[in-house]
Amino acid sequence: MLSSSVRLARRSFATVVDTAGLKVAAIDTNQPTVAITILAKAGPRYQSKPGVAHALKNFAFKSTADRSALGTVRESELYGGVLSSTLSREHLALTAEFLRGDEEYFVDVLASVIASTEFHRHEFEELVLPTIQGEVNALHADPAAHALELAHALAFRNGLGASLFAAPHTPITAEDVAQFAAQAFSKGNFAVLGTGISQSALSSLVADALAVESPSEAPKPTTTASSYFGGETRVETHGTPQTIFIGFGAAGAPAPELAALAAYLDPNPSVKWARSASPMLQAEKTSVQAVYLPYSDAALVGLLIQGPTAAAVREAGKAAVAALKGTSGVKAEELKSAVAKAKFRLASSADGRAGVVEVLGSKVLTGSSETSLEASLSALDKVTSAGFTKAATSLVKSKPTYVALGDTQSLPYADELGL
Amino acid sequence: MAGPLGLSLAPYIRSSPTLTKLFTPVAKWYAGGSLYRQYGLLYDDLLIEERPEVQKALSRLTPRQAYDRAFRIKRASHADVLHEPLPRELWTKPEQDIRYLLPHVEAVVEEIKEREKWDTLEVKRKW
Repeated sequence: MLSSSVRLARRSFATVVDTAGLKVAAIDTNQPTVAITILAKAGPRYQSKPGVAHALKNFAFKSTADRSALGTVRESELYGGVLSSTLSREHLALTAEFLRGDEEYFVDVLASVIASTEFHRHEFEELVLPTIQGEVNALHADPAAHALELAHALAFRNGLGASLFAAPHTPITAEDVAQFAAQAFSKGNFAVLGTGISQSALSSLVADALAVESPSEAPKPTTTASSYFGGETRVETHGTPQTIFIGFGAAGAPAPELAALAAYLDPNPSVKWARSASPMLQAEKTSVQAVYLPYSDAALVGLLIQGPTAAAVREAGKAAVAALKGTSGVKAEELKSAVAKAKFRLASSADGRAGVVEVLGSKVLTGSSETSLEASLSALDKVTSAGFTKAATSLVKSKPTYVALGDTQSLPYADELGL
Repeated sequence: MAGPLGLSLAPYIRSSPTLTKLFTPVAKWYAGGSLYRQYGLLYDDLLIEERPEVQKALSRLTPRQAYDRAFRIKRASHADVLHEPLPRELWTKPEQDIRYLLPHVEAVVEEIKEREKWDTLEVKRKW
């Protein structure tokens, strides 16, 4: 017990140094490489125009006052580093991963990206728009991701409902992106997170770099509190698996009961190649994923069902609705194993480097004093049978979010599944 | 001295205040005497465009700039067919004759140079 708590403690940002409105946090577990992430509250939730967050994500590491886009790439290649940008609904993360010893150069790259990217019109048209187009095409070839995009739009409408992707022929311009970037990387709207580097080293490097490249003073991007709506949509697609998503959402800080509920609903066996007894997985080649997406002030829980034929998906969908509505009779040992599963998922998601930033980064950014995993894990331990039943019944009382993607002629409607 | 736009003494002349002072009136007189202004063209319409650098630069014009350029060239070609300059009110005024394409060409040339530099870089270890 002792050893496990020690290991968990190391997976947390022990101290968050707040120097002049800038939050810097680091963990060093003696790994051979270092990763530094700039995490900004600049997801599509905060965007001023549709798709501008996606454009800003793809505009990362282009020409800055210090070096051109080509220079950034080639110089980073010489150091053997990897530069990447990732977008979630709430956050934009710019990450540099590299060998120990090259901290100074990569901190300088990140600082110049956030402070002095030049947002040339020709770079937007020649480098950014094609990648946007490619990512939109990839989304349309991935029915699971597409269904979740549509589900968010139905569930939360604005704010969290805003798509992670720009429209294929987006009207945004390089100036729009520049304006949004000034807001996104304004003082106090981003945090610097490091893994494999000591807190003091990272703080001093970042302070030095940002003294030269000072971030903008533009007002921070704003958003409204999320509320849950729900609804139904059907999109005709060809050549992809038949896909339906059945989900429910809840506004407010995500309750640990919902994580336990998602783990409880997951029909997949924990042993590889084992056959599940769940009625959801009886049809051949049908896959069911439990979806649990927590955000700062809302959560989406549901089941994503994919299968080769509409008939198989319909059967699995009926079983899924029965499972979602039948959570009141949960047995004590079933709840116990669901809680254990949820705890394991949370802990293992924070195991990798990207997971640490994803799980704990938002806590650093909101200035929460609790930046370790332990609070979330102990909250899951406190889930009781009564609390679980209450959370589950109030969740399914709300209007369902239902998305059907594929052969819309034969895929079931929400009411046909008993929603 | 020799760029993608051909030989030019202009950078050398511009680097010396005396020469600049001496040559500016001459340059203005020469440009005013060139017929391209009488045909409603800008100087950058005359850049030789059958070169990759200039083609790339042309692709970076705004839609409005590209349209105006095509219009000027068409109008000048028509006037040329008629063997007569445009009416005087359509002549390009000296203050309208801005280098709208040159900055793009120079940026493209810089990019090509930078790519060559990175492609032929010799990496030396510091330790």
